[in-house]
Amino acid sequence: MRGITKRFPGVVANDDVSLELRAGEVHALVGENGAGKSTLMRILYGMYPHDEGSVEVHGQAVRIHSPRDAIALGIGMVHQHFVLVDPFTVAENVILGQEGGPIVRADEANRKVTELAAAYGFQIDPAAAVESLSVGEEQRVEILKALYRGVDILILDEPTAVLTPTEAEALFENLRRLRDSGKSIVFISHKLDEVLEIADRITVLRRGKVVGETTPSATSKAQLAEMMVGRPVLFRLEKPATRIGEPVLHLEGVHAGRLHGLDLEVRAGEIVGVAGVEGNGQRDLADAIMGLRPVESGRILLDDRDLTSMDTAEIRRAGTAFVPEDRQEQGLVLDMSLWENALLGRQAEPEYARRGGVLSIRKVKHLAEGLITNYDVRARNIDTTARTLSGGNQQKLILARELDGDPKLLLAAQPTRGLDVGAIEFVWRQILDQKAAGRAVLLISAELDEIYALSDRIVTLFEGRITAEYPSDAPPEEVGRGMLGDVDEAEAG
Amino acid sequence: MLAAVDAGSLRFGDIGAAVGIAFTYFTIIYLTGLGGLFSERSGIVNIGLEGMMIIGTVTGSWGAHHFTLPPPDGLGWGLPWGPIMGLLIGMLAGAIFASIHALVTVTFRVDQIVSGVVINLVAIGIARFLSTIFFGQATQSDPGQPHLNPINIPLLSRIPWGFGRAFQQLSPMVVVAALLVVPVWYALYRTRWGLRLRSCGENPEAARSLGVRVAPLRYEGVLLSGALAGLAGAYLSVEVTNSWGEGQTQGLGFIALAALILSNWDPIRLMLAAFIFGFAQAIPLRLMDAPGLRLIPDPFVRMTPYVVTIVVLAGFVGKVRPPAAAGRAYEGGTT
Amino acid sequence: MAATGVSMPTEAPRERPEWVENLAGQALALVVALLIALLLGSLIIFAYGESPATVYGAIFHFGFGSKDGFGYVLTEATPLIFSALAVAVCFKGGMFNIGVEGQYLVGMVTASWAALKLDFLPGPLLMWTAILFGMLGGIAFALVPAILKVKTGAHEVVTTIMMNGIAVSLVAWAINGPLKFTTQEGTHNVNLRTDPFMANARIPDLGHMFGIRSAVHLSWLFIGALFVAALIWFVLKRMRLGYEARAVGASAGSARAGGISIGNVQIQLFVLSGALAGLVGMQQLLADKNYLPIGYEAALGFTGIAVAFLGQNSAPGIVFAAILWGVLARGETAVQIQTDVPREFVIILQGILIISVVVTYQLAKRRLLARQLQRAASTEDFEDSAATLDTEAMAKEDR
Repeated sequence: MRGITKRFPGVVANDDVSLELRAGEVHALVGENGAGKSTLMRILYGMYPHDEGSVEVHGQAVRIHSPRDAIALGIGMVHQHFVLVDPFTVAENVILGQEGGPIVRADEANRKVTELAAAYGFQIDPAAAVESLSVGEEQRVEILKALYRGVDILILDEPTAVLTPTEAEALFENLRRLRDSGKSIVFISHKLDEVLEIADRITVLRRGKVVGETTPSATSKAQLAEMMVGRPVLFRLEKPATRIGEPVLHLEGVHAGRLHGLDLEVRAGEIVGVAGVEGNGQRDLADAIMGLRPVESGRILLDDRDLTSMDTAEIRRAGTAFVPEDRQEQGLVLDMSLWENALLGRQAEPEYARRGGVLSIRKVKHLAEGLITNYDVRARNIDTTARTLSGGNQQKLILARELDGDPKLLLAAQPTRGLDVGAIEFVWRQILDQKAAGRAVLLISAELDEIYALSDRIVTLFEGRITAEYPSDAPPEEVGRGMLGDVDEAEAG
Repeated sequence: MLAAVDAGSLRFGDIGAAVGIAFTYFTIIYLTGLGGLFSERSGIVNIGLEGMMIIGTVTGSWGAHHFTLPPPDGLGWGLPWGPIMGLLIGMLAGAIFASIHALVTVTFRVDQIVSGVVINLVAIGIARFLSTIFFGQATQSDPGQPHLNPINIPLLSRIPWGFGRAFQQLSPMVVVAALLVVPVWYALYRTRWGLRLRSCGENPEAARSLGVRVAPLRYEGVLLSGALAGLAGAYLSVEVTNSWGEGQTQGLGFIALAALILSNWDPIRLMLAAFIFGFAQAIPLRLMDAPGLRLIPDPFVRMTPYVVTIVVLAGFVGKVRPPAAAGRAYEGGTT
Repeated sequence: MAATGVSMPTEAPRERPEWVENLAGQALALVVALLIALLLGSLIIFAYGESPATVYGAIFHFGFGSKDGFGYVLTEATPLIFSALAVAVCFKGGMFNIGVEGQYLVGMVTASWAALKLDFLPGPLLMWTAILFGMLGGIAFALVPAILKVKTGAHEVVTTIMMNGIAVSLVAWAINGPLKFTTQEGTHNVNLRTDPFMANARIPDLGHMFGIRSAVHLSWLFIGALFVAALIWFVLKRMRLGYEARAVGASAGSARAGGISIGNVQIQLFVLSGALAGLVGMQQLLADKNYLPIGYEAALGFTGIAVAFLGQNSAPGIVFAAILWGVLARGETAVQIQTDVPREFVIILQGILIISVVVTYQLAKRRLLARQLQRAASTEDFEDSAATLDTEAMAKEDR
């Protein structure tokens, strides 16, 4: 790919980017969120047209207009968010789009898929419905889809974001095998440890431009990070030393959704980090505490108040602030203005809603202005729609709104997902400020870096239970075992 | 002798007749429901089925009238061309009308329910307009419209005690509709086209990422739904009432939707659901004398189909699984 | 340091506030849609050998050319305003109340009952009571699908339509049963109807104040409709219920996480909608005929949906759309009499208009959003380059 430039409204996503990929190599594409890595690969895969530049495959200049063209050229892509048809079987998913004839025979499809999988050493049951598979298995289906179409170039977009460490190892095994059989692999990631482990060559993107190209032996994690961000990156912020007080949040034997008898305690002035691979009950934990999911048995207490059967409004009134993992589905109403979003969660407060239900719009707008100034939310004014904010600013707005009420407890779920380093630092600082102010913080995160940076205590969540508890200086391998439920009784908290 | 056995003043013959009527309405509901099936499986919610049916009723009636003239040179092969053309034209008109829904929802990505509501509104107007052109009056057609020769199902129509009446004097379309399940099922589950269509309704991003063209497939789904609903409407005006009248669809298009939900979007289960709802239609028509029902005033019995639909819907939501992507507009172009 | 007044983090030139832009965009979309409809309508007119100028002129002239004509337009518009408001209120909350049709029929029955059975009430009290009962009837009928939706999740589109079917039977039963007429025995009157109501049940005529004949039946109900429209605007924009409704309609998950009770909001919206629907029949019942006939004016519920879409579900838009619709509806007669085009042409025109409004509004919304995104991205510094990803995600999720 030479001199690729791609513009979106208001942003240049790729600015004169060139990338060379050799046969039989794993080439890592590294950069922070929004640097343009996904965009570049989507151009290669034909999902976007490029504005300037050229693409050559095997020496031939080509124009890729659609995924079909890309596949025809031997390019395949495994997206970060899998695109699988849940109710279909593995085989149906693999052959979709290339069925080999107008009639579809299940037994034949199954046979082909089994053969293909065996050829590359994959384990998979072709007749299983995709919705019954584990995440690691789903990823294998995605890779099989590409292999079925005879790709020579395989693009993987943040493949380990959803894998356990063991599954990631298994993936790397498979990738090495593919590489050795002559395939080229593009490995997009922001996880520098993994990149250093698996890649043969590394290209670093920053703000849409290529800022460096190197190999694992010639660089280090710190150097890569610096290239990614353009300045030395602090991996740890300074944690304020606070006196840890009485328990504020207390969960006892909670059964709800995927939670099976969960016990947890968070004290005032303390940050408890819940580490775990996604899919082990994180969402249900947050939802249960906030009253968005009914608790089947067990208790949730805030100070001494029993939250278990309260509705969300009451739980908020009791002093809980919530930064949800899905900004768009649980945090903001994107089509409403900023000031209307600032009101969300507080629309019942007498300050903003007078008797009879009439809103004090002036007061709400005043509140909104204060929030966006104090929390550095970059927006033109408070009337603009929330949708126009970047991810980082959306998150800041949510934080501003939630923290403004002097909550006793802050529940933050995946608070920095999709944010760039500047926004991440800001959010982390806010969370640490809460701790300094003596509030209780429950942090749920799939990023171990984040857990380590913020937590006083680390607990691991596996299959709906807290499996173990660790001090904040515990080695990651141990915490990793807790995340897999691989603990004996002695360690379990 | 046994035919005179009573249950109250309700005779088995009446029950048989009621089942026969149920078959008639089954045909309408099943055809329309199949139409909805194709559309929704491709990812486009279609509540405009009623409107598409309406178009089918008026055009079908016209077709039946218009084509009853004997064809030249004895090319007719003795077939009743009038009704056949009526049915075909109703089908075609329904598909053409459905293209509006397809255009608006697939290309312009307007909310699918909004479009469906609009389609229903517009259909009533168009039907009136066409009626003035076809029949010179706005709300009904002339009487004396031809229809297909009714048939008796062999063997089944001989069932004694009056139950056989269920299978007597049925329109051939009933059989056609019932047999449709075979090609429909095959097309949906055993062909490449069906696999791709279903993928558009479950996860269009996945389909597109593999090079499947989502927009054309969705168009096909919607046009099919228009064709089938139009056919159902034509059947109603050509075979059942032998005339066209405004409002004759009586909400059957929506009942078909309910049947679709009840059937969990499966063509085989849809047959059962369509029959149940068809029977609900028959109750006020033939079973008014049943014990118990006689105690309820007339107008309330007429509400039966609607009440049944509501009860079914209230009981079955959450237990069924619609196509995952139905109702959401799909971005990503038409490549 | 909290700023007072509107805060502008960057020195952007003073721009139009966004609500003006949105309004302008909407108005433009409506005008474009109207033009498209008129254009397409012209094709049909040509097919009849007439000229569009004549046909459209006839429609326009009939509605605006005389006081009586305009009076007819407003009379026609009155029930449509209520009906469209009923639809719009639910729509803001993300729900489709297609059952206005049935709700207003039931409202007419309950209002008739009050007018007939409570006729001992003095003066205007009878009128207000009848109106109240009309609203109550609509509310009661609307509560059924509402509760079903909240408790069982039954989709309101199908349930409300089924309720419409039930309503028709209910009205038939009422006119033949409890409300059967008693005064006219063995006369030539074939039409089933109730007894006429007392004179003080009637809503007073307004038209005579402007020189409009009383046969036009322009009553104070029109003023009432305007007032109610303003009230609904206030509820939606300035009251907590409206805010919660719009939040639920736009993003139910976020609304829930913000402590809003979705079920409560939905029920309240349906109650409001039912009350509005109950008012729909009041024009014919209390201003026009003063009895309940079996040949009532139907389809006001469905037309209300059309008017709601035409007015883009906003209260002021609905008032204008209702008047526009009134012009078109009344124009049918003019078209029939003065041209060779059949009156049903107007119905087609209305149909084309609805479709084109719905489409142009959608396109306008997207254009507007794209422009807002662009402007927003350009005023941030590139530090927040996460805007790139969000743009893609937004494009994918845009509805």
